This record gives sequence, structure tokens and C-alpha cells, in this order.
Amino acid sequence: MSADFAFLYAALATYVAAGAIALAGLARERPRERAMLGLLAAALVLHGLALALRWQRTGHGPFITMHEILSSNIWSLALVFTLAAWRYRPVRAAAAVVMPILFVMMAWMVSTDPAAGHLPATYRTLWLYVHVSLGKVFLGSVVVAVGLAGVILLRRFTTGLPWLAALPADARLENLAFRFMVVGFLFESLMLVAGAVWAQDAWGRYWAWDPLETWAFVTWLTLAGFLHARASLKLAPAAGAAMIMAVFVVAFLTFFGVPFVSMAPHKGAI
Amino acid sequence: MRLERLASLNLTLAGLLTLAVSVAVYAASKVPSPALVVAPLALLLVNLLAAVATNRVFRANLPLMLFHCALLAIVALAAAGRLTQFKGQVELAEGEVFEGDVGEVEAGPLHRNALDRVRFVNDGFTIRYAAGLKRAETRNAIRIFDAQGGVTPLVIGDTEPLRAYGYRFYTSPNKGFSLVFRWFPRNGSAVRGTVNLPAYPANEHRQALEWGLPAGGPRIWTQLQFDKPPLDADADTSFRKPGQHRVVLRVGERRWELAPGEQVTLDGGVLAYEGLSTWMGYTVFSDWTMPWLIAACILAVASLGWHFGRRFAATPWDAA
Repeated sequence: MSADFAFLYAALATYVAAGAIALAGLARERPRERAMLGLLAAALVLHGLALALRWQRTGHGPFITMHEILSSNIWSLALVFTLAAWRYRPVRAAAAVVMPILFVMMAWMVSTDPAAGHLPATYRTLWLYVHVSLGKVFLGSVVVAVGLAGVILLRRFTTGLPWLAALPADARLENLAFRFMVVGFLFESLMLVAGAVWAQDAWGRYWAWDPLETWAFVTWLTLAGFLHARASLKLAPAAGAAMIMAVFVVAFLTFFGVPFVSMAPHKGAI
Repeated sequence: MRLERLASLNLTLAGLLTLAVSVAVYAASKVPSPALVVAPLALLLVNLLAAVATNRVFRANLPLMLFHCALLAIVALAAAGRLTQFKGQVELAEGEVFEGDVGEVEAGPLHRNALDRVRFVNDGFTIRYAAGLKRAETRNAIRIFDAQGGVTPLVIGDTEPLRAYGYRFYTSPNKGFSLVFRWFPRNGSAVRGTVNLPAYPANEHRQALEWGLPAGGPRIWTQLQFDKPPLDADADTSFRKPGQHRVVLRVGERRWELAPGEQVTLDGGVLAYEGLSTWMGYTVFSDWTMPWLIAACILAVASLGWHFGRRFAATPWDAA
């Protein structure tokens, strides 16, 4: 087994420990927030080492196979969430929603073929890194908002969860989630622009309605629709939270679902 | 009052959701109708113009106005691009000069063709493959001729196109072998010509093509035959011509096999096979709106960031 896999599985175990603390913390009066953040930070370091070692071994970044794409996205989503949770305390309880999403991605990742892929010549460009980085900040911001939205919905439909009960009011949580959605919208817009610049260089056209382009644009419209709905309909926090969940479903399917059904050269998901 | 109803934010929301659904349907349709996208866009356009005309608060919010104006500019530029852009394909054999002829053209009705000003010669290419014939770098040597008689050598390929007179020439995955013939008609002077066989290695087992000899000569079916494939699928390799090969010619029931340097007498003249060369396929593209589109997109994102940044700065995120 390559060293990168050893670090990867150590990271996965640490993520699971952090997630377990988050889920167990729901029932505690004094959840172990610092322990959870510490474990998340440790998992990120281990996972970062795993990605770096794989990068060195394969000669290219984690952009090609579904295994690499899921691995790098788990890392980036966890990174954005950890930074947000470290900076904004109400976000920490959202780990109980975000970590199960990451668990699903981890289970999916370990079921994929970990063999290295071939880096196409059109990926040897700075725009790859620009496009991918912007996409990761976009999805990371949306995931933080989803965590907060999940907390609002959990509070509505469950009782006896002291960690959630101690959080600020739904309206404040929804407002915070809205801010992360705005950040996500800005980064998705930039991601689309960077992707168009790259597509022009790679395929001689900046937009061709291929499935990934189409669904990325549909995601953008859905997010724009959410921002407009919030301004025009004066949504209740639970309704806003439900819309955030809907936007996330579209974004998640675009990132990880479309490459499975598309035979277009633009497989995306990077 | 009617204008204010047209400016409704609820109408904006309906327009956005309709556009999202329309875009998905448009992309999934086998024969998509542009009206699917244009109709909800037109609705949003009317909605936005009505909002600008009637909503003072909106007008007073400079970053939000800038954002929406940038969106308008993006739609207008995309429409202008559709009317004026150019797409096409061209194949050039090694040593062949591009002289403005392009096939599979999709040009907007207002496109002003300036392709006859572009002159370059394909000097051949190298393509590296990883094991499994996975294509890596493409490097295509060309020389471009300017109007003053100057010649500039360039290497293009992959994400680096040739840029000339508003056009971009991208190397494409289509490339292959060319059969080089010289036709000596019984009456007239000799003509040199190339037959660009189907793309290789995508059509490894279909290296044949029918073509018509110039000046009313007979139609000939040609096929390239080689014993050993030139590209090793199991190892790192690069594009190369087969070493030992022959060309099969058929006219009706008659059949010949020629090696390089051999010739055959046909009705109307003599056909000599000079040897094997390569051809490269290029995607030709032109759209003057591209830099303006990028500028409008960046203005849109920057102004929206300004709008929300100003709004969020009023309350700390912790106390949001």
C-alpha cells in the first residue's frame, strides 16, 4: 500500500471520530466543540499529506478519477467548514449535519477505483487550478449554509437536543446561512467565468451547453432564485432553510452526478 | 401601475425559475428551440427594465444597478456574439498552406469573413501518447505569413491556438495520414494532391477513402495498408507514420497495390504515389465579444460583492 493511502485512511478515521463527537454532542449540555475542531484539523493535515503524496506519485493533482475528485472535495469541504466553525461559533453545531454528508462521500470514495488516471493535455493550464479552487470555495460555502439550514430544520422537527437548543434563534442562523450562500454565489459566478475561459482554450468554444455547463448554470439560476426569493418573499427561517437544501441538492448533483451520465468531453467534477 | 407590476420581484423569481427549467429542457432536447431560452430571458429583461424605470430605491443602489446592468450587457453581448461569431473546421496536410477555405461552417448572419487574410502553413506535428493510447501533448509547427511578406514560425497545440485577424485556430483531436499523389493527365500539366484518410488512431481499421481525380479524372477508392500499427497501444508512444506500407487503389473492378514511388496508368492519365504524409484538423473560431463578456462578468461579480459587502459590514457575521 502506498504511503498516501495510509495517510488517507488515517484521515478518514479521524474525520469519523470528529463526526462521532459532533453527533454525540447533540445530546450533551456541553458539547466537546474544541475536541471536534482539533480532530477536524488533524484529519485535514493527514488528508492534505495524503493528497500531496498522491500528487507526487501520480505527477498530477486530484482532478481526474472519481476517487481523486471525491477525496479532494472531502478535504476542501472539511477545510471550509472547519475554518467557518473555528471563526463563527454557531457554525460548530452544524457539524452534526455536515459530517454525515462527508461520511456519504467517504463511503462513496472508498468504493471507487483508486488507480491513477491520465491527465489530458488540456488540463495543463493555470485555469484548471483557478476554476477548481473557485468551485471548491463555492461548494464549501454552500455546505456550511446547508449545515446551518439543517440545524434550523432539526430544531423544528426534534426536541431534547441541548446543543441545538442553546444556539441563537432561527432567524440569526438563517441570516448567517444566507451570507454563506451569497459567498457561494459569488464564487460560483467566478467559477463559471474561469470555466468558460478554460473551455475556450481547451475546446475552442467558451460555452456549448454540454451537460456540466448546463447544470452549473441551472445551479447558478437556482442560487440566484434563492437570493431573490429571500428578498421578495420574506421567507420564514424554515422555508429559507428548505430552499438552501434544495439548492444544495442541485449543486451536489451537478458536481458529482452529471459526470456519471454525461458522455461529453467536458466530464468536469473537479 | 402596469409598469410597476412588470417590475415585480415575484416576476423576477418566476422568470429565474422558468429560465432554469427551460435551460435544462433546452440542453436535453435533440432539436432544441432557442425560444426556450430566449422567452424567459426576454421576460427577465422586461422585468429588469421596468424595475429600473419605476424603483427609486433600486436606482439609488449603485452596486446593485451596476450588477444588473452588467447582466444586461452579458445578455446583449452573447446575442451579438451569436450574430457575428464564426465556427468551422479545416484539415491541412503537412506542407499545405491555409488559404481561407473552411468546412462545417457555422457563422452568424452578420459575420464579416476575413479568413482570406489568414495564411499559414502546417509544418507537421508531434503528439505524445501515454500507454493505452491516451493522448498527451500536441505540438504543431506552423509558419504564418503576414501582409508585408514576413514569415513567423510558431508552435501551437492543445490550449495554445494560432491567433490571426480575429480568428483562432485550435489543433483538434482529428489528425491522421495523408496519401500524396501526383496526377499526370494525358492532356494538361501534372497536379499534386493529397488524400486525407480518416482520423488516426480513432479509425485505425478504416484507413480508406474514395476521391475524384482532378480535371474530370476517374473516381478512385484508396486504402492504406500496413503490417504493424505505428502506435504501440501498450506503452508510451508518439504519433508516427508506419514504416512499411502500401496503398491499395480500386477503380471499378480493377485493383492495384502501390509502394511509394510507384505509379499506375488509368483512363485519362498516370497516377504516381509519392508517399505518406500527415494531416492536422483545426477548429476555427472567431467571436469579438469574448473580452467584453469577461469584463462584463467580472463587473457583475465585483458589483454584487460590493453590494453584499456593504450590506454585511453593517452587522458582524457573529451577530447576523
